[in-house]
Amino acid sequence: MTGVWGLRIGLGGLGVLVGLYGAYLLLSRQDLDRLVSAAIWLGGGVVVHDGLIALATIGAVALGARVLPVVARAPAAVAFVVVAPLTLIAIPVLGRFGAEPDNPTLLDRSYWLGWSGLVVVALSVVVVASLVRARRTTSESGGAPS
Amino acid sequence: MKAADVLDRVPRESDFTSRLRSPAVAARVGLWLGIAFGICFLTGLISHYAQNGDQPVPFPTAPYWGYRVTQGLHVISGTAAIPLLLVKLWSVYPQLFKSMPWGDVRAMTISGLERLSIAVLVAGSTFLLVTGLLNTSRWYPWAFSFRPVHYAVAWITIGALVVHIAVKLPVIRDALTSDVDDTTHDSPTATEPGVVSRRGLLRSTWLATGIAVLATAGSTVPLLRKVSVLSVRTGDGPQGVPFNRTAAAAQVTAEERGPGWTLDVVDGDGVVSSWSRDELAAMTQRTETLPIACVEGWSASAEWTGVRLRDLLDAASVPRGADVRMVSMQKRYAFGVTELQGNFADADKTLIALKLNGEELSLDHGFPARLIAPNRPGVLQTKWLTTVEVI
Repeated sequence: MTGVWGLRIGLGGLGVLVGLYGAYLLLSRQDLDRLVSAAIWLGGGVVVHDGLIALATIGAVALGARVLPVVARAPAAVAFVVVAPLTLIAIPVLGRFGAEPDNPTLLDRSYWLGWSGLVVVALSVVVVASLVRARRTTSESGGAPS
Repeated sequence: MKAADVLDRVPRESDFTSRLRSPAVAARVGLWLGIAFGICFLTGLISHYAQNGDQPVPFPTAPYWGYRVTQGLHVISGTAAIPLLLVKLWSVYPQLFKSMPWGDVRAMTISGLERLSIAVLVAGSTFLLVTGLLNTSRWYPWAFSFRPVHYAVAWITIGALVVHIAVKLPVIRDALTSDVDDTTHDSPTATEPGVVSRRGLLRSTWLATGIAVLATAGSTVPLLRKVSVLSVRTGDGPQGVPFNRTAAAAQVTAEERGPGWTLDVVDGDGVVSSWSRDELAAMTQRTETLPIACVEGWSASAEWTGVRLRDLLDAASVPRGADVRMVSMQKRYAFGVTELQGNFADADKTLIALKLNGEELSLDHGFPARLIAPNRPGVLQTKWLTTVEVI
């Protein structure tokens, strides 16, 4: 027991030291304007996640539970776990916010096409998986419509 | 509206009923998230050190592909961490609404400190992944300087992560050694089955992570170019290699790079030696296969031909081991002057390149001449060279 406590206290102390070193780096090498900008982005991530992304996810799940047939819910949940993060990752390339007019080697793909392709594949998998599950449910219940 | 009514509308931990939001899920996703963050941190330290002008221990020149691999891994593991972090945060979201142990000062202190460490961890994690992701596509919608702030926040975040692991160690150990459907550490109200099982959610998370990597890693892994439909670069460009800055953007003028151009080796007393481009081309030419590996995570291998830097330094009687500065004609952007440690200046593979993949170096790749050295961040592979200063 003491061994584990010792390990935990040691780890905790190490973590605090490492974090304080980072705070020192952050505070000592930036002027105030830049620090304020960094603080906004540090706090902004938490606000956007906890206040927007988490709520939107709860909303999407509630909507799915209301509109989707039972057999489609599990495949749709899997597709959501895959497609939602991928879409967030794709925002910078879909919006081409970093594009430079004189640099054709940057952002040199049709990102909307690529993203749509992934979404179409995901939706197709959901539809096929739902149909397979529906058929399995029907045959298990002796052919009677459920 | 009375204060009590408002309080009634704030969700409580007990309002969340899904049994998927469990430490059994959080610990398993957290394990892989921790591994991804660990890889990010170590490769980030390597990249930061490689870009430091002052290196007490010289960065190694071998393996020549080392930086390509470490920086590629940095961006790949950071990308992989995005789905992992989202699922991790989803699985612990009810904790945000856990009530404080009001009245008990000791419990309040412990709980407050733990919440503070979690707030730092979540703020730091989202900051690192968001700014890192935006940086890969050269999108900078902020006023701070990316590199020092990303670096400082990485130390803060890893510190908070180590504290978090120390606090949660017993729960983590229990969760990872018990069955995924074990409910020992679950919230009492988290009993409602989800549309997928816990195993199903975990497998979906691994799938999401794998697809996120496959969809983006083509910027640095040539084999994935065709499948990485969301990669910031195809890895192709003029003469088969992408670039970050054009000569026009860097304001390198036609006159400067015209027939009057020379590459000079200078020391404290002035110009020691000077070569025109024709004179450089008349020296012994070497060809090396070396990658351009950018800090933003893209990389491309190419065949570079030119004069070995050491041959030039020998001709100028510069002793072995001397550090040098590579000076560019560029007038805009950082890294117009870069330091090249003695071990890099002396490395056989370090070239003053005149040709790229068999053709005369194009303007945007650094014509008339550029530095190309092994195991070196792309920003330090100085283009449009004009002077080599012996330090």
